[in-house]
Amino acid sequence: MRMIARLILFGFFLSFTNFAIAGKYNSILSIGDTMPEFNKLPSISGENISSKDLNEEVLVFVSLANHCPWVKGMDKDLVSLVDSLSTKNVRFIGLSMNHRDDDRLPAMKVHAEKVGYRFDYLFDESQEFGRKLGATRTPEYFVFNKERKLVYTGALYDSPAKMNNDGTVKHINGRPSQFYVQAAILATLDGNEVVTKETRAHGCTVKYVQ
Amino acid sequence: MFSEAIKVFSIVILNTILAFNICAYGEADFLDIQMTPVTYDEWETRRIQYQPKIVVVDMWATWCVSCIERFPEMVRLHEQYKDHNVQFVSMNLDDREDTQSIDVAEQFLKKMNAKFDHFRMDENLLVAFEKIDLIGIPAVLIYDENGNEKYRLSGDNPSKQFTDADVEAALLELL
Repeated sequence: MRMIARLILFGFFLSFTNFAIAGKYNSILSIGDTMPEFNKLPSISGENISSKDLNEEVLVFVSLANHCPWVKGMDKDLVSLVDSLSTKNVRFIGLSMNHRDDDRLPAMKVHAEKVGYRFDYLFDESQEFGRKLGATRTPEYFVFNKERKLVYTGALYDSPAKMNNDGTVKHINGRPSQFYVQAAILATLDGNEVVTKETRAHGCTVKYVQ
Repeated sequence: MFSEAIKVFSIVILNTILAFNICAYGEADFLDIQMTPVTYDEWETRRIQYQPKIVVVDMWATWCVSCIERFPEMVRLHEQYKDHNVQFVSMNLDDREDTQSIDVAEQFLKKMNAKFDHFRMDENLLVAFEKIDLIGIPAVLIYDENGNEKYRLSGDNPSKQFTDADVEAALLELL
């Protein structure tokens, strides 16, 4: 009886721990939450994309902003990651929510071509999907499994990079050593639990209309 | 020989007076704007020393476009309320190793003619955000006369991002 009580207490402690960790850096979504839906968001490809159109096993959304030096700093690594997973059943989708001219669709097309995005880059002008994701930083990643549950949210890796005005890129902590998004995708594809589920996304603020 | 010494002494005195006058008026405030580097613990000590004043802290960086865009409002608030029981402070969150950005930040503060206290966080950038417990900037933290944090205005919730009016309203609530 005492053992059962201990197990219940331990389980309660664990559930509380998980609860405390989930949503630490996101005021809206927690790990395990269902992916919000979106309808007919315009892509740089000219198509309108809806969440019901997405059939891949793993979906990765990343909030982006063309003007943001922290986006420019990691662009090359994002493109490399997408290319390295091109044979896997995973789909990347970029999102732009800001209403600045240099973050809108025409500028998104120019930026995507310049840096080599080979994925859909959607403009969420209503900011509805961004709000539902709780996306407040650029860049900020959201990885969903085939049940469309959130399995990872946060930074690309452990050393965010900023592009300076002269075009040089500097990582805050030198070369990254932990590649959170890649690890989350591969673990999910293999049917394993993601080890690092949430990190602090470092970057520019998404400006929402209040 | 003696008259030469008198002449040199007079020149030194005149230059000293001239330098003092430049420092004492107008242009000097513009020229002397510098950011004091502080660790998080040093900042906490400095912040408490402002008591019993209300302290308004603007967290910003040169890489944060929204911060740059809203900074003139911080300068305006300072001009409007500087004679009240409030201390305005800017806390820069550029990478401490990025000397180029730190130079740009100080030039910006000079251009803004922001005549209040300026600090920069002398911590690893990610550690700084952890210690301040901030997800992102711009953010304005307002402490009451006892040093207690009363308002944390940030962009961390998509539906509750702060406006310039929110900062002034929060300040007026405490004054």
